[in-house]
Amino acid sequence: MVNTVLFLIPLLPLLGFLILGLGYRTIPSKWTSFIGPGTIFLSFILSLLVFFNFHHFAISPFRHLSPWIHVGSLDIPFAFLIDPLSALMLLVVTGVGFIIHVYSVGYMKDDPGFNRFFAYMNLFVFSMLLLVLGANYPIMFIGWEGVGLCSYLLIGFWFKNHEYNNAAKKAFIMNRIGDLGFLLGMFLIFTTFNSLSFNQVFSQAKSMTMGDPTIMAITLLLFIGAVGKSAQIPLYTWLPDAMAGPTPVSALIHAATMVTAGVYMIARSNILYVLAPATMTIIGITGLATALFAASIAIFQNDIKKVLAYSTISQLGYMFVGLSVGAFTGAMFHLATHAFFKALLFLGAGSVIHALGGEQDIRNMGGLRKKLPKTYWTFLIATLAIAGIPPLSGFFSKDEILLHLFGHSPVMWNIAVAGAMMTAFYMFRLLYLTFFRNFRGTEDKLHHIHESPPVMAIPLIMLALLAAFGGLLNIPGLFGGGDWLSGFLSPVFADAAAVTALPATISHATEYLLMGVTLAGCLIMIWLAYHRYVKKEMGLLPDDASHSFPVKLIRKKYYIDELYDLIISKPILLISRFFHDVVELRFIDRMVNGVGNMVVWTGSTLRYIQTGNVGFYMFIMILGIILILFLNILI
Amino acid sequence: MTTIISLTILGVLTLFLGIMKKQSWLLPVILLGLVVSMVLTLRDWNTFSSYYNGMIIVDNVSVAFSMALIFSAFLIFSLAAHYYRGVLRPLDDIYGVMIFALLGAVMMTSYGNLIMLFLGIETLSIALYVLAGSHKEAVTSNEATLKYFLLGSFLSGFLLFGIALIYGSSGSFDLGRISAFVTSCAGIYPPMFLAGLFLLIIGLAFKIAVVPFHFWAPDVYEGTPTLLTAFMATVVKTAAIIAMYRFFTHTFHGIHGVWDTTIWVMAALTILLGNLTGLYQPNLKRMLAYSSISHSGYMLLAVVAFSAMSDNALLLYTLSYSIATILAFAILILIREAHGNDYFSSLNGLAKTNPSIAFCLTIAMLSLAGIPPLAGFMAKYYLFTTALEQGLLWLVIVAIAGSAISVAYYFKPIMAMYLKESNGIKLMVETPYKVSIFFMALLVVLIGILPFLVIGLL
Amino acid sequence: MSAESLILFFIVGAFLVGFAIVFSIFVAPTSTNPQKAEPYECGIPTEGLTWLQFNVGYYLFAIIFLIFDVEAVFIFPWAVVMKEMGMIAFVEIVIFFFVLGLGLLYAWKKGALKWE
Repeated sequence: MVNTVLFLIPLLPLLGFLILGLGYRTIPSKWTSFIGPGTIFLSFILSLLVFFNFHHFAISPFRHLSPWIHVGSLDIPFAFLIDPLSALMLLVVTGVGFIIHVYSVGYMKDDPGFNRFFAYMNLFVFSMLLLVLGANYPIMFIGWEGVGLCSYLLIGFWFKNHEYNNAAKKAFIMNRIGDLGFLLGMFLIFTTFNSLSFNQVFSQAKSMTMGDPTIMAITLLLFIGAVGKSAQIPLYTWLPDAMAGPTPVSALIHAATMVTAGVYMIARSNILYVLAPATMTIIGITGLATALFAASIAIFQNDIKKVLAYSTISQLGYMFVGLSVGAFTGAMFHLATHAFFKALLFLGAGSVIHALGGEQDIRNMGGLRKKLPKTYWTFLIATLAIAGIPPLSGFFSKDEILLHLFGHSPVMWNIAVAGAMMTAFYMFRLLYLTFFRNFRGTEDKLHHIHESPPVMAIPLIMLALLAAFGGLLNIPGLFGGGDWLSGFLSPVFADAAAVTALPATISHATEYLLMGVTLAGCLIMIWLAYHRYVKKEMGLLPDDASHSFPVKLIRKKYYIDELYDLIISKPILLISRFFHDVVELRFIDRMVNGVGNMVVWTGSTLRYIQTGNVGFYMFIMILGIILILFLNILI
Repeated sequence: MTTIISLTILGVLTLFLGIMKKQSWLLPVILLGLVVSMVLTLRDWNTFSSYYNGMIIVDNVSVAFSMALIFSAFLIFSLAAHYYRGVLRPLDDIYGVMIFALLGAVMMTSYGNLIMLFLGIETLSIALYVLAGSHKEAVTSNEATLKYFLLGSFLSGFLLFGIALIYGSSGSFDLGRISAFVTSCAGIYPPMFLAGLFLLIIGLAFKIAVVPFHFWAPDVYEGTPTLLTAFMATVVKTAAIIAMYRFFTHTFHGIHGVWDTTIWVMAALTILLGNLTGLYQPNLKRMLAYSSISHSGYMLLAVVAFSAMSDNALLLYTLSYSIATILAFAILILIREAHGNDYFSSLNGLAKTNPSIAFCLTIAMLSLAGIPPLAGFMAKYYLFTTALEQGLLWLVIVAIAGSAISVAYYFKPIMAMYLKESNGIKLMVETPYKVSIFFMALLVVLIGILPFLVIGLL
Repeated sequence: MSAESLILFFIVGAFLVGFAIVFSIFVAPTSTNPQKAEPYECGIPTEGLTWLQFNVGYYLFAIIFLIFDVEAVFIFPWAVVMKEMGMIAFVEIVIFFFVLGLGLLYAWKKGALKWE
């Protein structure tokens, strides 16, 4: 029974995908509106069931469903792992997934690919659930690849636009680089531990020494996978381009769930990571650099979704920083709250785009506060949450990471706070330019502005509630909270906690001080943004305006895309052209064709022995018999 | 044993339904009867018993393969209503003879005595001679039956001669006694015995259609009514290979050094010749005939690579081959009905007119070619692994090369269906027939994904 | 029996058959004329086609006769052991006859026994 429920959670979205995918031409969109979100809703209900009956699973978290691959010493069962970590992820994926599905019903209403869209979305949720539930690396990897595929399909959803296709390809290829790391990591895990199941790997890892070079290699390789999937430096450039997909896709895949898979994977493998301090340092540096770097780019972006995309990259950086200092709970907490408020931000942005008939440039918006009140209020809540204003959810989760960071290294804390301030600045810049001041679009558009229908507005409100109160999950003792989430997740991280040295305890006074400093910095930034963009009405420069060099550098996203193009794409293209024109066409093709032609020629010759003449057949058979008897008996 | 009795009763019942003029009862009764005999067969699972002084031995291998045979027959009968729907004359004789052929096949899985083996083979063969010619009005059908009969009776003579020689040297028809005789020879075997052994190989090789005794197969397959070709290509081949497998791996395994080179060479030749000649066939049915020849070669691998795993590997292989082949033939029947021929050009654009049928045919072709994740891939994988474990590296290399070649012709129909312009003829399919097709396609996929359903049985 | 004797067997066999054929060529008197090539050497040209169809009824009768004839053979061994086996043997032969009877009934109902 318990297994059936567990099995059904990913199965339902798969069923939805099969129904919608096979019948995408015939199923009326009315049904799709129910099937698409409906399957996810059922999964969500089942996930809640699992969550509230958690004590059943606490005894035996590993759920063996069926044997799967068994070759030599490699034994990979089809098994699910249901522990606090995956239960939390289950709720986030199905809950946020459901809300976004409902929203999509309104958002994608007039799209000719309505059914296809929901089929892909359901497939995505299925893959994500597989990733989260898998009890061994291969199943996780299947989910990992599945979400990558869905991401590819959905980024290029409007495949008639060539640029969107390129964006989809870019996302896919960048992810492949990471996946290679993941795969190699898996191979290394197998050769080291002779197993790929989480329980066996982790229990063996516990007895390894700190700083073991093999563990370091494994963790680094897995981290490469995480870098690709979670868009960290240097593999982050695909995420802004991925905004080519429909906005609900950006909300679900490129903000709330898929991109956090890397964080989840590292949190899942926490015991391996704590045994590799060098890797942790690398993760910390990468995360911090990404957080700061992406935030700086976000300040100068003018596309509403691109700002959010860079913001996502930056927030993911925070999560990695959290992981690197052993704040696994903090990272997971931030993952959950980020899922709420970033999904809300994207959906709000979608609502704005929807209202403006596809306009995405914030320079052509403004004054939407009155026109789109629901969107405005929910967007404001999300913005406050991401900026870290208490008592909204983002404040608590970000604070937890920052606190750990301070215990680890005050310098890193300083940098992280600078990033948080930048976050507050660019988010309020976005808010002010979109919703304040006067409308800057055409007169024609002004008349068409309309608040979104309830099917889109209600998901916004639901997410707003989550974004506002999500912090209640883990209110620190400082504010009289019970650190519920930490307690809930602690069994997962128990082994890791046992290995790591306890961080220096920070007194409550210091804690208040740190919080105060961060908060003050953010408030100053909000004021600054208000001053610049509302008071002084700045920030409307056209793309070709001239700037000082540093500004131009940031506006052009540090020329990273161009740099990659120059040092990677161009040489690779050059080499591949050489291989194609010379090696392939001149040598390999000829060789292969030669073999093929030989085979075909042999076949065409051999068929003539099938003459249709029975006498001839008998002759050959007798010849065969004589040969067999002669060779075997007489010789 | 209950299987044999129940099938006999079913066969007689079929004939009597015919003379009682109850044509419409035929298929329901047969399908039900097959299910009943499958249930009866399953009851013998894990019983390991022998009947009539070891004439018949029932063990798990025989039960599993009997099940596979009856199941294949069941699938074929499920297509019969559609295939014979326009035929006015009574069909009880054709059905009855098919069931007797199946009976012979089941006997070949559970014989414990060479007499029973010969009886099984002859029950099967004589029934097939009739079936091959059952479309009396067609010249091709007459040609098929005559060729099959001439060559078949010719080779049956060799088989019988082989049995006689073995009897002459060992003094018994009983497999256990022969096995004891082999042991008592201690390495020096009378030539008479060896001659008998090889004549037996030759006789069985003919039934399996192994090079150089395969010549009958393409001509007979082409002329035989398509439904019965499916029967020949699956039930008959499975029965013959398991008969050979049982004989050589259980009775003669002690002296495998004597015969395995011969089988090795025959397997390699069969794989290569079947696949190479398959490349040049202009129509689907003939192509499937060559495909079935090449698959005989793969199945021979299990005979040479006898080990603890090879029972399972062979079962998985025959099952996945049978289902995919019946599926392909089921669609071939539809195409012949609609177009009057089965040239690859008749398949043009099928993906547009009948996408689901085209998809199922694609599954069948891919499975036969051994493309993951379908049943054919898993079957080949396990078979080749088993062979590799027995050190048959070169044979496996030949087999893989053969598979690679085979992809070229298995993709011909797929390319025709998906890439060519349609000629606008839509195939007419009734729902039950479609259900059978989908069921088989589903099985092919399912076995591919979950080979453990089969692989852990024996 | 060893391989040598087998070889000897083949050689002697081939020799005897070959010898008989070759010997007859030399020994038998031969003459060739057009009449000899005809199907019947009675001197009268044949009438109509030689590809005559026989009534299939002959075959049916022959086959049915053959089946029952062969099956009658099985009764002999039964008769030998009947006394020893007693009742079981009797029951079994009754079943055997019953099955045979079914076969006859089928042939009869199918009209195989009708001569047309």
